[in-house]
Amino acid sequence: VSLLLITAIVQPARLEAVTEALAALGAPGVTVTRLLGHSLDELSVEIYRGRQVTSSLLPRVRLDVVVPAEDAADLIHAIRRAAQPDPGDARVWTAPVDQLVRVRTGERGIDAL
Amino acid sequence: MLPYPSWLNPGDNAWQLTAATLVGLMSLPGIAILYGGLVQRKWAVNTMLMAFSGFSLVLLAWVLWVYKMGFGSPLKLGPGILGAFVGIPGAVIGHLGEQGQAHIPLLDGAMPKFRFPQATLVYFQFVFAAITPLLFLGSVVGRVNFRVWLLFVPLWSTLAYSVNAFLLWGGGWWAQQGALDYSGGYVIHLAAGTTGFTAAAVIGPRLARDRARATPNNLLLVAAGAGILWLGWNGFNGGDPYFSGADAVAAVLNTNLATATALLGWLVLDLFAGPQRKPTFLGAINGMISGLVAITPAAGYVNGLGAILIGLIATVFVWLSWNKLAKLSLFKRVDDALGVFHTHGVAGLTGGLLVGLFADPHMIVYLGQGKTAGFSAAGLFYGNPKQLAVQAGAALTVIVWDALITFLILRFLGLFLKLRMPDELLETGDLAVHDEEGYPTEALVSSGAAGIPAETPAADREPAADHGDRPAGPA
Repeated sequence: VSLLLITAIVQPARLEAVTEALAALGAPGVTVTRLLGHSLDELSVEIYRGRQVTSSLLPRVRLDVVVPAEDAADLIHAIRRAAQPDPGDARVWTAPVDQLVRVRTGERGIDAL
Repeated sequence: MLPYPSWLNPGDNAWQLTAATLVGLMSLPGIAILYGGLVQRKWAVNTMLMAFSGFSLVLLAWVLWVYKMGFGSPLKLGPGILGAFVGIPGAVIGHLGEQGQAHIPLLDGAMPKFRFPQATLVYFQFVFAAITPLLFLGSVVGRVNFRVWLLFVPLWSTLAYSVNAFLLWGGGWWAQQGALDYSGGYVIHLAAGTTGFTAAAVIGPRLARDRARATPNNLLLVAAGAGILWLGWNGFNGGDPYFSGADAVAAVLNTNLATATALLGWLVLDLFAGPQRKPTFLGAINGMISGLVAITPAAGYVNGLGAILIGLIATVFVWLSWNKLAKLSLFKRVDDALGVFHTHGVAGLTGGLLVGLFADPHMIVYLGQGKTAGFSAAGLFYGNPKQLAVQAGAALTVIVWDALITFLILRFLGLFLKLRMPDELLETGDLAVHDEEGYPTEALVSSGAAGIPAETPAADREPAADHGDRPAGPA
């Protein structure tokens, strides 16, 4: 069975909905990373003591999950639905996974999921 | 045996020590965490260490020579103001200096005899002397050389603070002219605003990059520090009659009235005239400080209505100064990092002048007895226009003297030391200067001394830009 890595970058506020959708489809274990997305269209603006500070770096979260290739289409669909509404820069992509090894047991491939 | 001599009153003594401790808390941790939270993340440690070390430096200088310069016998430097400008330096660490009855020579007959020992007065006045450098610290954070700070603070206390205190509180020339400064609108806040602005101009600005991105690192610590300031101010103004009587209580209530009014006033100004028309927490804190500072010179001389009006007028003036005056090129050139000029200098001056308008002669500071008249003060609105002129003259003296002394001390220190840290240290901040940071990350450091030979002195190392390479403990 071939494996795919699904990576999604979404709004922090949508994280809970996306992880719940993935869990409902049988993908409970997800790695979540906080990150900053660089945008030229959107600026974050904060005012401290009357002085404005702006940033083109906006907070996002990244989800990484390895899944059997045949499930990927359904999961991507579920992520898309759960990650709405979105200003436009959320993305989901997949990449082939050559090897997967569970550290504790040494199980490989789909057994290591 | 007796617990204390007959001149000692345990109620007055207990309140005075309590008030002094409240004022001490305004510095540590109040100002340390207020400023520590307002500065950029990379300067939190440096800022807090300057606050703690400044407090310690002032205490030693205070008991060894400065207290007597502020509250001792006059040094006869010449005629007129020169004969009542500053006191003769001296130590107060002997048994009489600590346990003898408190006494300010030039105020004999002008106030009731003290009912507590001199150690109480020395410590009470110390916490005021100590908070002043901590206030102007806000002007020079983020670039001043730490060694310069260690020398500047005792020199400034000796040459500037002693004079401010003697002129207005030690029975010096401006006190003799009738100038009023209940708890330090001039001696402390106008002095801090003037000194901070002058020092910022002489030392030079922060990195341009830091000025443009001056984002605070912890608003919750700012809240804790600001709250300690407000409530600590009950001791700041409530302790200054030196007796726990009716005027002390009035001063405390007036302080809170002016402060609440000023906080709300700034909030409303931000809501309807601010750049984004939004209420901001840090704006409200600026309003709070403006009210606290402006009522300080007036607290026990005005009535409750006067206190509310002072809070309102001060918040409008400081808001305009902060949002409009600060746009002028002079204020853009001088990097007063936390805006001490506005919240302390402008607010202190405003309050000091407003005492000249609102001082109510029915607010009795000390009661009369027999043929001796009591003491209270009247401003312009109570038929005494001269008070306003005296207030303006005293303000001008403090501004000119403190700016001059600050300029001279820094130019002198500049002969031996770099006043401003080199840019490569400024880029890194706390880690380069102290090998510590405000928010260490345990997961990203390794234990032991890997990577750094133990014999290499810290100063010889490159400033570390990469936190991941740092050892967790001392090498």
